[in-house]
Amino acid sequence: MSRSGWIIGVLLLCLLPSPAAAEESYVFDLSEIEKKPYHFSGYLEAKPVVYGLDDRAAFYQLRFFNDSHRRTVWEANGRVRLEGGYEKGPARIFARLNTDLQYNDKIHASEKTTFYEAYASVKPLPSLKIDAGKKTMKWGKGYAWNPVAFLDRPKNPDDPEQAMEGYIVATADVIRSFDGPLKTVSFTPAFLPVCNHVNTDFGNADTLTFAGRLYFLLFDTDVDFMFMTGGSRPDRYGVDFSRNVGSNFEIHGEYAWLKSSRKIVLDPSGTARRVETDAHRFLIGLRYLASFELTTIVEFYHAGDGFTSDEMENFFHLIHRGYGAYRATGNPAGLGRAAQLAESGYARPNPMRNYLYVRLIQKDPFDILYFSPSLTCMINTDDLSVSVMPELLYTGIANMELRLRASVLAGARDTDFGEKQNDYRIELRAGIYF
Amino acid sequence: MLKIVHFVLAVILVFPVHALALDGAKLLREMDRNLSPESYESYRKLINIEPNGRKKEFTLFTVKKGLDKVASVFLAPASEKGRSTLRLGENMWLNIPNVGKPIRITSLQSVVGGVFNNADILQLDYAVEYDVTGVREEKGELLLHLKAKTKNVAYDRLKIRLDRNRTLPTSIECLTEANMVIKTLYFKNVRDFGGGIVRPEVIETDSPLYKGYKSVMIMAKIKKRTFKDEVFTLTFMPNLASLR
Repeated sequence: MSRSGWIIGVLLLCLLPSPAAAEESYVFDLSEIEKKPYHFSGYLEAKPVVYGLDDRAAFYQLRFFNDSHRRTVWEANGRVRLEGGYEKGPARIFARLNTDLQYNDKIHASEKTTFYEAYASVKPLPSLKIDAGKKTMKWGKGYAWNPVAFLDRPKNPDDPEQAMEGYIVATADVIRSFDGPLKTVSFTPAFLPVCNHVNTDFGNADTLTFAGRLYFLLFDTDVDFMFMTGGSRPDRYGVDFSRNVGSNFEIHGEYAWLKSSRKIVLDPSGTARRVETDAHRFLIGLRYLASFELTTIVEFYHAGDGFTSDEMENFFHLIHRGYGAYRATGNPAGLGRAAQLAESGYARPNPMRNYLYVRLIQKDPFDILYFSPSLTCMINTDDLSVSVMPELLYTGIANMELRLRASVLAGARDTDFGEKQNDYRIELRAGIYF
Repeated sequence: MLKIVHFVLAVILVFPVHALALDGAKLLREMDRNLSPESYESYRKLINIEPNGRKKEFTLFTVKKGLDKVASVFLAPASEKGRSTLRLGENMWLNIPNVGKPIRITSLQSVVGGVFNNADILQLDYAVEYDVTGVREEKGELLLHLKAKTKNVAYDRLKIRLDRNRTLPTSIECLTEANMVIKTLYFKNVRDFGGGIVRPEVIETDSPLYKGYKSVMIMAKIKKRTFKDEVFTLTFMPNLASLR
């Protein structure tokens, strides 16, 4: 064989995969799973947002009445969330601290630092745990709304998976398991005081709220019964359920009965009156995974204590009259009154009675792993106004989350989404976990 | 006389099939016990490998009790840390610390992405979910044909290739009702974990639905351990890491 033939032969041998090289080896370093008594972790987020404003909308006129040439707002948001815990025997302490930073050319810079959670736990038995401190309870089965979450702050349906701030409570979990159709029973009592500097935004001061949840796993169905009483807020009772009806299909629902629910409504002339009535809220929903990896979440939400189309229309007319008066005389008194009413409930994310939520999430399309485009629609079924949110999410980089999301609001005048301050919103969210 | 000959022939023809069917169920139970004790704790690393070689890793602590109770908590990466999953028979839940409450998930979804789905990650004993419909010998191995007991099981059919000496799987083909292959699991590196547990350390999987992608599960520190039933409840899910 010639010299060049030898060289080619050796090169070919090197290029051909040997059996040993072809067999990939995997390493599981056991130091990774060593348990420490403490833990510390965190999350950093940057979120630039641009809002496209609708200068004819009621909420635009309420918030931008003295800056009425503005068509866009650019905003830079930052978030730092730190959490840590220490565990010794059956005892544990845990805290989650959240700092939100915001800068835009209207309100300039703002910063808010809050303990979302900070509590101590003791778990003397696997069947008993007692917690005291600031904690989120997160009752309910719904994705976008939770009418039975009596002890939590309202969820933002535009971003229902975000961490939330809790209330200061003393609570316990008592669990029993059984064989047979009834597999689990647990009871969660909770005491929530409202007094000086403690839970002051929950309800009436100098009260002690007592609430509880009784959970059953019965015939493969999760069922919870809840109650809340004590004078800080009107008494309420609830029930929820969730069940898998197939390997790719889940259904859930919630119902809450609120005694003496209060709201302020306006007549066509703008005169306000307080209305007190018992109210029903319910939610029914499903989650379905199609064979082509499309997850569909559908929920219908009814809030009997929400505002009717006429009541909302009267509120929007109050703003328009106030804005007209401001433009004519420079007197913002009418708008000031509308702003107070907005805070009482008209400005909350879903102030009306009936909403349909549809979210479609496609997993790994075009063979791109960890890429999840989604489309979320929220329809106010009373006035047929709508919010549409397309989103692109990528989680393929270790400990990083990249999310590009838009929101387009559509509706006639005097409708829920038609009178929001924005026509559209575009945001980019980059988050790092450590 | 002719009747006796016919009867004997019939017994000879029918008996092996019947005997093999019985052996199939027994083999499956034996395989389940060789893969893991009925109640145990273990650590697992899941690696999703993309066609370009890029990897994403997850580390889990897993506990199992009896035939139908299994729970896991993610220890890494930081973005998943503290997430826990629970399976009670056909019921599955995911608890995300930020979201706070356990939500129901389905067996065909995947909490980690990649080729492994929730049914693979929260695997029960095969004998709990499947009946053996046939056993035959092929290429020096035993081939078990399995059919799901209910419609709620993730895969309607399985074909298990079994190392007949160790009664451990070498590969499992997961199929739809129409006999379409969804994925194949390959069991590799048989290792002595101590305490009488000798089983494959690595499970690789690929799927014609995810061409070029591969997912790998590596077992570590698997050992017998018993737990109270209360550990396998929604209420306990946020505290699973305390069992380590």
